[in-house]
This record gives sequence, C-alpha cells and structure tokens, in this order.
Amino acid sequence: METVGIWVAAFFTLAIFSFLFRENPIYRFAEHLLVGVSAGYYFVQYLYSSVYKKFWVPVFQDGQWLLIGGGILGGLMLMRLHRRTEWLARFAIAFYVAAWSGYLIPSIIQGQILTQIQSTIIPPHDASGMTWAAHLSAWLVLIGVVSILVYFYFSHEHEGPLRIVSKIGILYLMIGFGASFGYTIMGRITLLIGRFQFLFYDWLGLTPL
Amino acid sequence: MDRLLNVLIRLKDLDRRVLFIFVALAVAIPVLKPMGLPIRSSRESVDFHRELTSLKAGDTILFSFDYDPQTRAELDPMTRVIWTTCFEKGVKIIALTLYPGGVGVADEISKELAEIHGKTYGEDYLFLGYNPDWSGTMLRLGESFRKTYPTDQLGRETGSFPIMENVDSYADTPLLVSVSSSAMAEYWAIWAGGKFGQKVITGNTAIQAVLVYPYYYSGQISGFLGGLKGAAELEMLTGQIGAATRGMDSQTTGHVLMVVFILLGNVAFLAERLRKRRAA
Repeated sequence: METVGIWVAAFFTLAIFSFLFRENPIYRFAEHLLVGVSAGYYFVQYLYSSVYKKFWVPVFQDGQWLLIGGGILGGLMLMRLHRRTEWLARFAIAFYVAAWSGYLIPSIIQGQILTQIQSTIIPPHDASGMTWAAHLSAWLVLIGVVSILVYFYFSHEHEGPLRIVSKIGILYLMIGFGASFGYTIMGRITLLIGRFQFLFYDWLGLTPL
Repeated sequence: MDRLLNVLIRLKDLDRRVLFIFVALAVAIPVLKPMGLPIRSSRESVDFHRELTSLKAGDTILFSFDYDPQTRAELDPMTRVIWTTCFEKGVKIIALTLYPGGVGVADEISKELAEIHGKTYGEDYLFLGYNPDWSGTMLRLGESFRKTYPTDQLGRETGSFPIMENVDSYADTPLLVSVSSSAMAEYWAIWAGGKFGQKVITGNTAIQAVLVYPYYYSGQISGFLGGLKGAAELEMLTGQIGAATRGMDSQTTGHVLMVVFILLGNVAFLAERLRKRRAA
C-alpha cells in the first residue's frame, strides 16, 4: 500500500513539475484534484471540529443548552447566502467583531506595540554591562526605527534634515526587503529540495553518493 | 566589444525554461552527492536548543503543529528533532494544531516517532487535535486545557489520560513549542507568553523567520529556528543528522545560482543601456 502511495505522489509531483515546460492537461488534472481533495478535507475537518465537537456533542449529548445561543449566532452567519435574509447575518458579525476587538486590542497593544517600543530603546542603567557589539546593535536598531518612522511621516515635505533621515530609512527598508527576499528564496528552494529528496530517495530508491 | 554587448543583451531574452534546468541541476546534484559544507549555529538556534535540553525527565510541554502539508519540507525536520529529543529525555508532549490541515501531519509524525521510541499514547504524549478559533484557544488554554479540549482528536475524554493528571494550564507546562508556517508563533508569544507568562520557543518557515526576529530580541520568544537552515542547525546541535542537514548543500548551491542570475540580469540591463547611449 505504501508503494502505491509513493508512486501516486511521484506521479503528481512530476505532473505539477510539467507546468514548468508548458501548461498541459496532466498538470491541470493534478491541480484540480489537489483543489478538490483539499476542499473536501477542510470541509470535513471544519464540520467535525466545529459543528460536531463544539456544538452537537456539548448541547445534545452533554446538555449544555446555553451553547445554543452560539449555535444560533453561527447559523445567522449562513443567512448571508440569501439576499432577503442577509441582514440577519449582521447580528452575528457585530457580536464577533465586538468579542474579537475586546480581547485582541489590549493584547496587541501590549505585545506588538509597547513591548516592541520598550525593546527598541535600551535605558542607560541597563546598558552598563553591554559589550561594544551590543551597544552598536542597539544604536543601529534605534536609528533604523526612527528613520523608517520618519520615512512614513507624510505631513511635511521631506526636505533638509528630514530628507537625509528618510533616505536612511529607505536604506534600512531595502536591507529589510533584501533579507526577506533571501529568506523567501530559501523557503522556495527548500520545497524543491523536499520534492527531490522524495523523488530520489523514496521513489527511485537512490542513496547519496 | 560589440559582440560582448550582444551576448550580454541576449541573456535578457533567455528562455525561462533554461533557467529552470539550471535551478534543477543546482538543487538536484547536491541531493545526490552532498558536499558536506559547514553549518554554523546562530544565536537563536543555540537558545532554542538550550531551552529544549534544559527540560527534565517527567516535564510536560505543549507542542503546536501550526502548519499543514504544504510546508512539511521545511518544518517536519524541526518537529522530528524536537519530538525525538523530548522522547529521549523522558519529556511528555501534549500536542495540538491550529490548522485543520495539521491534523494529518500531527497524527502521522506523532505515531511514527512514538513507535520508534516505544512511547504510549495518553501517557507519554497526547494529541488534542484541531480547535477552531485559534485566538480563543490560546487564551482558554491559560485557564484550563481540559475545558478548551474536553476530548482529544478522536473524541476520548481528555481528563481520562494519565498525562493530564497534574497538567491543566500553562502554569503546568515549562515550555511551549510552536512549529509554525504563519504568524501563529507571534500570537503564541503575545497571548500565551504575554498574558500567562508561558515560555515560548518557535520553529518557523524561512518566509516567516524575518518577522519573528523582533519578538526574539524583545525576549517574547526565547529561541527560534528559521527555515531549513534553522532545522539543520538544530540537527547539528542535537547530533540528529537528517533531511535538513542533507538539504543544506542544495540550499547553498541554489542561492549561489540566484546571486549569479541577479548579477547577470543587471549586467545585461547595463549593457543594453550602454548600447542605447552609444547609438544616441
């Protein structure tokens, strides 16, 4: 059975690779099958995890009747599918947005803004035991954050000192994009390596020389 | 000179399929014949390794499979090393996933490694399964694991497993490991770490790694692995050489080829501009 699985996987890997030469029916078949299988898999997972495990079991088997309220709100979401009833979905969306905002906003402000600002600036009393490299790094981070913020300050024309600082900001942004691009290539090549390792080692049974 | 310019300009119109062949060769040859290029550990990987190996036998950790099949090539090597290290040290693992597609991945890897190390489901490891609403899940786990996951993936009562005897919140797990292909790692740091003081380490896809650095430098994440390189570094640090280390030679040749392509592209562009200037 495992051998059949490996052959099927190898066939579909090569089918997808065939697109690199040109679009063809074998590629389209593989692509459509992937979309269909994924949609079916996700639908069943959502149905089992949400509707069955989180609603059906607690309400109808464990008697937690209060959860029916959540079930009704979930059902209202589906009212969007018809023009005459789509207004009903707004109640569910309003509840969801309010609940989401309630627990998201304070955490995001604390975790993504305040803590990040705090780690950008090293207070002098914390800096006494730092190495020169750590000092340099802290200054580079501070200069980078300030100059990028200046670059995105659009309420004043970038002239004179503001222009110089915003140019430094662009430099930092370019370095950031470069690093991001490098990591993206690494990710894409890794996917190719994974497929080649599968084709050579698992399918063809080759071993590294 | 003109002939050289012609050759360089022609590079711009090179059929992309020729480039694909070069990329395929650059990646495939080292897969078949590894060169054994050195791998140097980064600070973040060393920190990740330190947190992992500082766990004691009998500790229970939370492990989140925050990825699905499309990023397995990058993240499976990390997961395998982490689970193997934990099983060898006698550390118990409570696993979950915030991706519907992560269910199959978690099921396959956990069963395979448990069988290799002779571990028992429910005693040495547990798979809670997929829970919809990832943010709510992260927050509720801080209150009670059992209330967040009344049953495991197959519908068996969570509280009935021996592994859950003395564990019911972040306070009972010294470490949370998220192997993630998205921003989940950051949200674990914000909610489990920021709100409940849970120590968090993460393994990330290369694309995501850039975004994790700020959380690492602020101390919100105690260590992380970035892409296949991070996985290879962890393999080296633990001595568990696997797919990531074997893939790093291809990674290097692939990157060198990209740099060459970028340089040639720029040279071709400059050559064309030089010719236009001459013509004018």
